[in-house]
Amino acid sequence: MPALDKVLSGLGLLVVAAPVLLLAVFFGAFLCNRRLQEHTIGRLIQGTITISLLASVTAGVLMLWHRVAQHPIELGDWVITPHYHLKFEFVLDLLSLSYAGLTLVLCATIGAFSTRYLHRECGYQRFFVLFGVFLLGMLTASLSDTVETLFAGWELVGLSSVLLIAFFHERPSPPRNGLRVWVVYRLCDVALLLAAILMHEINGAGDFDHLVGKNAWPEHDPLLIGPHFTLLGVLFIIAAAGKSALVPFSGWLPRAMEGPTPSSAVFYGALSVHLGVFLLLRVSPVLDSSIWLSVFLVLLGLTTSAYAYLVGRVQTDIKSALAFASLTQVGFIIAEIGLGFRYLALVHLLGHACLRTLQFLRAPSLLHDHHQLENAIGARPREEGVMWEGRLAPGLQRWLYRFALERGYLDSLLDKCVARPFVASFRALDALETRWARLLDGERPPAAKSKAEPRPPS
Amino acid sequence: MNLSAWPWLELTLLLPVIGAAVAALIKTPNTAARSSLGFLIGTLACATGAGITFTEGTVRSWHGFAVDEVAAPMLPAFALLHFLTLLGTAKSRVSPMVCVRLLLAAFVNLGVVTAQDGWGIVTLLALGVWLPFWDLLSRGAAARGFLLHMLLFVPLLIVGWRMAENGQELGYGLLLLALLLRGGIAPLHGWLPTLFQSAKYGAAMVFVLPLLEVLAALRLLLPATPAWMLDAASVACLITAVYGGGMAVVQEETRKFYAHLCVSQTSLVLFAVMLHTSNGLTAALCLWISSMLALAGLAFSIRALEARFGALSLREHHGYYEQVPGLAVCFLITGLASVGFPGTIGFVPMELLISGSVEQGLWVSGTLAVAAMLNGIAIMRAYFALFTGKRPTTSVSLQVTPVERVGILIIAVVVFLGGWFSPGVVSSRHGTADKLLDRGSSRTVHPGR
Repeated sequence: MPALDKVLSGLGLLVVAAPVLLLAVFFGAFLCNRRLQEHTIGRLIQGTITISLLASVTAGVLMLWHRVAQHPIELGDWVITPHYHLKFEFVLDLLSLSYAGLTLVLCATIGAFSTRYLHRECGYQRFFVLFGVFLLGMLTASLSDTVETLFAGWELVGLSSVLLIAFFHERPSPPRNGLRVWVVYRLCDVALLLAAILMHEINGAGDFDHLVGKNAWPEHDPLLIGPHFTLLGVLFIIAAAGKSALVPFSGWLPRAMEGPTPSSAVFYGALSVHLGVFLLLRVSPVLDSSIWLSVFLVLLGLTTSAYAYLVGRVQTDIKSALAFASLTQVGFIIAEIGLGFRYLALVHLLGHACLRTLQFLRAPSLLHDHHQLENAIGARPREEGVMWEGRLAPGLQRWLYRFALERGYLDSLLDKCVARPFVASFRALDALETRWARLLDGERPPAAKSKAEPRPPS
Repeated sequence: MNLSAWPWLELTLLLPVIGAAVAALIKTPNTAARSSLGFLIGTLACATGAGITFTEGTVRSWHGFAVDEVAAPMLPAFALLHFLTLLGTAKSRVSPMVCVRLLLAAFVNLGVVTAQDGWGIVTLLALGVWLPFWDLLSRGAAARGFLLHMLLFVPLLIVGWRMAENGQELGYGLLLLALLLRGGIAPLHGWLPTLFQSAKYGAAMVFVLPLLEVLAALRLLLPATPAWMLDAASVACLITAVYGGGMAVVQEETRKFYAHLCVSQTSLVLFAVMLHTSNGLTAALCLWISSMLALAGLAFSIRALEARFGALSLREHHGYYEQVPGLAVCFLITGLASVGFPGTIGFVPMELLISGSVEQGLWVSGTLAVAAMLNGIAIMRAYFALFTGKRPTTSVSLQVTPVERVGILIIAVVVFLGGWFSPGVVSSRHGTADKLLDRGSSRTVHPGR
C-alpha cells in the first residue's frame, strides 16, 4: 500500500521534525538577540510535543489497524563512496514507537511541570533550549534504524544532560559534576563509535536490519555467531553501561542530581538512564550470539542492582535515593535482557520510567506530602519492610555501611587508577614542554633562577 | 554577462596585496581596519567566484597559479578564515601593520593553495614563515624558539624538494620531516604553543589554521614518497593526536589549551593524508575544511573574551556566560564541531576518518576515537572554566557587539549548514582523492607502492 507507506513516513518524519523546528525558532531568536517570553516558550514546547505525540500515536494506530509490524523511513544515503556508506534512516516498530511515545508523554508532563517550577528563573530559556535538544536526541535515538542515526541522538542526549547538570552554574559543584559526567559519556561514546565501525566492517553498512535481519523486533534471523559479533556485543554493553550508569560507571549518577528537579526526573529517573537499555534491546540479537555475553549481561545487571540497592539505603537526600532506586530497577531490566525476556524488559522499562518520573516530580514537596499524610491519619505512618541488615554480624554491617556510604569506592577507584595518573603524567609532560620552550627561547627556567639567587639569611 | 570569464583567480590573489599596500599607507588604525575588511570581503567574493566557476567547468590559470580540484573549495574557506580573523580583532588591538601582515598572510595562503609548481609552493611556504616572526619581533616577544624551528623547517623544505625532484628517496624523507615540523607533530611541535602565547592571536591563527602542510603533502609528497615513510609518519601523527588531546585537557591557560587543540587536530588531518588511501584522503580533504573553520570559530570567541577580560586562565571558573551568552554558544558549537559532533560540519569528516582508518586495524580507529574523546573533554572543561562560576560584576556593558554578532552568525551558518551540505562535499572530495592517488600511481618512481 504505497499511500499508507507515504502517510507513515510522513508521520514518522513529523515526530522528529517538530523538535527540529522548535530548536530552529530558539536559535533564530538567539541570533536576533531576542528574549522569548515565558508563556511563548511554554506554548512552543507544548505545541511541539503535542504535534510529535499526535504523529506518533497516529502512526501506531495505523500500523496496528493495517497489521504493519515495522515501517522503515529512509532519509536517503547521506554519504556514499565505494568504501563507505553513511545512511540516516528511521524505523517505526513496537520498540521505537513505544520508546518515542514514552519520551513524548514524559516530556509533555515534565515540560508542563517545568514552566511553573522554573517560573522567573534566570535560566528559563536556557533550560528549555536544552530540553528541546534532549527531546530531539531522544526521538532521534528512539526511531533510529542505523547506528549513525542512533549515535547522533545519543550524543545530543549526552550534551543536553551535561549542560543541564551544570544548569545552576554560579555554584562550583554543578559544572564540576557536569564535567565528570561528560567524561563518562565520552568514554562510552568511543565504544559506540567503535561498534558502529565494526558494524560497517561486518555488513558494509550501519543498518540494524543488516545486522539482525528484516524481521520486526524482537524477532530476528538465526543467531549471529563469530568473534566479531562477540566483540560488537561487548562494545554495545560498554556503551550502554556508561549511559545507564551500570557498574563500574555508576559514580556519575548521584552527581547528576545537581541539575534542576525536572531535568533529574527526565534524565535519571526516566529516559536518559534507560537509553542504554533501549540500545541493548535494539541490538539484542547480537547479545544472543554468545552465551557468555548473555551471562555477562545478567551478572552485570544483578551486580548493578545489588550495588544500587545498598548505596541507595544510606542516601540522605531524596533525589539521590530515587536515583539509586531507579538504578536498581535498571539493573533488573538489564538482567531480563540477558535472560532473553525482551517483552518483559520493555514493559518493565515503560512502567518503571513512568513511576519514577512521578516520584521525582513529587520529590520537592515530599515533606509537605508527609505532613498532609500525618495530619490525615493523626499519627506518623508506620515504616514497612524488613531490615535484613540487622541480622548480619556487626563487623559486616559496619563494612557494608561504609561501602554504601562511599558508594562502593567506585569514584575513588576511578580517580586513583585513571584520572590522577592521567593528569599527573600529562602535567609532567607539560612541565617538560615548558622547560624546553624556555630553553629554546633563551629564558632561564624558574627553578634554576631560584637556585641561582642567594637565599636570604634565616 | 558571462561571469565565468571574469578574472576571479587574479583578483583573489591581487586584492590582498593591494589591500596590504593601501593599509600600509593609512595611519589611522580604524580606517586601516575598515579598508582591510573591505579588501578581505572582496577577496572572499572573488575566491567564491573562482571556486564556483571551477565547479562549472572553467579552468583558469595565471602565472603558475590555477584553481583545481584541491584548491576550489579551499579558496573561499581560506578567504573566510582571514575575514573572520580581522573581524574578530578588537579595535584596541588593530594597527595598520597588523592589517598589512594579515593581508600578506592571505596572499601567501591563497597563493600556496593555488600554486601548481613545486618550487612556487616551497617558496611561498618559506616566505610565510616571515610573517609570524615579524609579529613576534614587533611585540618584542621571545622569538628564538620559533626562529630555531623555522630555521630547521626552511632548509629541510628546500633541500628536501631539491633532492626529491631528482628522485632521491632521502629528499622525500627530508620533505616529510619539514612538513611534520610545520604541522607541529610531536616532538617537533614546541614552536606552536609558544607562537600562540607570544604572538598576536590573529597572526598565529593565519599561520597555523590553514594547515598548509596538508596541501604541501598532497602536492609534493603523495606523488612518489615511499610507503614506509608515510606509514612511519602516520604513527607519529596518531601519537600526536592523542598527546595533543591529553595536553589540552590539563592546560591552565586558554592560549595553550587552544594551541594543543590545534596540534591534535592538525595531526588528525595529517594522519589521514599519510594513510594514502582513497578513504583516508577523502577524510583528510573534508577534515581539513571542517577543522580549519571550526577552530577559527573557536578562536573567534576566545579572542572576543580576551578583548574583554584579558588573558584567561582555566584554573578557576570565570562565569562569563551571563554577560556574553553569544560567545558561550559560539565557543561550544565550534568546539564540538571540531571534534565531530553530530549535526555540525565536523561530524561526517570525523566519521570518515575513523571508519577509513579501520583498514589499518581496529586499534587505530580506537586511538583516533580516543583522541577525539580527549579533545571533546578538553573543550567542555574549557567551556565550564570560562562560562560557569560566579558572575563577575562590571561597571560597563560587555555585551556582544554588532560586528561580533555578524561573526557569530557567519560561524553558526558555516558550522550547521556545513553539516547539511556534507554529502555533496564528501562526494566531490572523494573524486579529488581518487585523482590525487591516480596521479601518484602514474608518477610512482618507487617499487612496492
